[in-house]
Amino acid sequence: MKTLRAYLSTLLIAALVITSLPVAAAPTAPQTIDLVSTQSVLSADRAGADRERINEVLARADVQDQLLKQGVDLDEVDARVAALSDSEAKQMADQLEMMPAGAGGGVIGALFAVFIILLITDILGLTDVYPFTR
Amino acid sequence: MTTKSLNSVFLNSTFSNARFAGVFIMLLLLSGCARNPVLLQSTYQTLPPHAEITSVPFYAQTEFQCGPATLAMVLNHQDVETDVEQLIPQVFLPERDGSVQPEMLATVRRYDQLAYPIRGTMDALLGHLAAGDPVAVMQNLSLPIYPMWHYAVAIGYDLPSETLILRSGEIERHTMSFSRFDATWARTERWGFVVAEPGTLPAGITARNALEAISAYEETNGPRAALSSWQSFSEHHPTNAIGQFALGNALYADQQPEEARKAFERAAELDASMGAAWLNLGLLLLQQEEPVAARKALEQAASLAGSWQEKARLAIESMNTQ
Repeated sequence: MKTLRAYLSTLLIAALVITSLPVAAAPTAPQTIDLVSTQSVLSADRAGADRERINEVLARADVQDQLLKQGVDLDEVDARVAALSDSEAKQMADQLEMMPAGAGGGVIGALFAVFIILLITDILGLTDVYPFTR
Repeated sequence: MTTKSLNSVFLNSTFSNARFAGVFIMLLLLSGCARNPVLLQSTYQTLPPHAEITSVPFYAQTEFQCGPATLAMVLNHQDVETDVEQLIPQVFLPERDGSVQPEMLATVRRYDQLAYPIRGTMDALLGHLAAGDPVAVMQNLSLPIYPMWHYAVAIGYDLPSETLILRSGEIERHTMSFSRFDATWARTERWGFVVAEPGTLPAGITARNALEAISAYEETNGPRAALSSWQSFSEHHPTNAIGQFALGNALYADQQPEEARKAFERAAELDASMGAAWLNLGLLLLQQEEPVAARKALEQAASLAGSWQEKARLAIESMNTQ
């Protein structure tokens, strides 16, 4: 995976350098010009733009792997990764494991002590776990 | 009864007394934390005492599907045709038994709607409800050590009784005191969002959140689809330089170079240190064959340190060699 990453990075760097060359080398005004995008300005606080783009491409590959591991259907994965903005993709790649996943299921198989504590906090109005406390 | 067993009875009772005292002290400590969230005086003065958006449909969640159910409710309220069954494969993570926040926002965009994260305060939440926008909220219904993450839709409130009204889980009209709700909401850093169609910007969204939301929409749906939202943003925040800049880019993509140029000029005027605005203005002027003005703008861009300095220099060099 590491070597694959290193290989991918080099490839991407090369690809980005090559694609950015014609802009500098083309003096005649083309039909549409390559303006600085809004997204790159918004992410300007982060490190250098090209490096950022490489990270984002890698992040998307990462997210794809992780979504598959989390049981997402193969034919849905592409659409789900594509729906993410670059910063969301990065966020997902960096911390999907830690991210809270809203489920809202009941407390099943909780320890008795946990049950008692949550019962008390429910009665005190700090939590909203058991419907019968209201 | 032997002395030994008497002893143990005595010991047991002291233990249970101690335990009782412990629980009692804990109760006292905990109740000290259950404070009512303080609303701003202006909230009481400006908002109607009661609001409820009854037109929000209700989908009871099945199993762990509160994410898809929440999205179905807020999207249907926007007249978007979808349902829980369709949303499950789009936003649910089977191995996690739940849905994560970035995908909640991303899924909204898949239906050509924008998801605007709200400012995380009770005042902002009530403001959106009073304005008629239901708010999708994330809560931790349990304690941080034993989290129970949950999505629900806030649809209304009652100020005199300090009660929030939600479509939540299997309950169509779940009422909850402000304090209980705020305790569960605070555990997600008060995360929530409103859904709006392109071209509308709900009142009360911060400029930064709106910029990020429209930019994310533009990334996946294209700049022309985002144009109306940028226009609406710059009406709400006329002095925001990034907003004018973004509007310029969308106008240019929509083949309105004259309007785009004006927007870039306003952006550079509002924030003279914004290299990207000078650069785009310069490149556009160059295309419009106004070399004198173009050079001036590009020189401004080249004089500002930042990511776009190099590109500006290259543009000037290629002008010189022509």
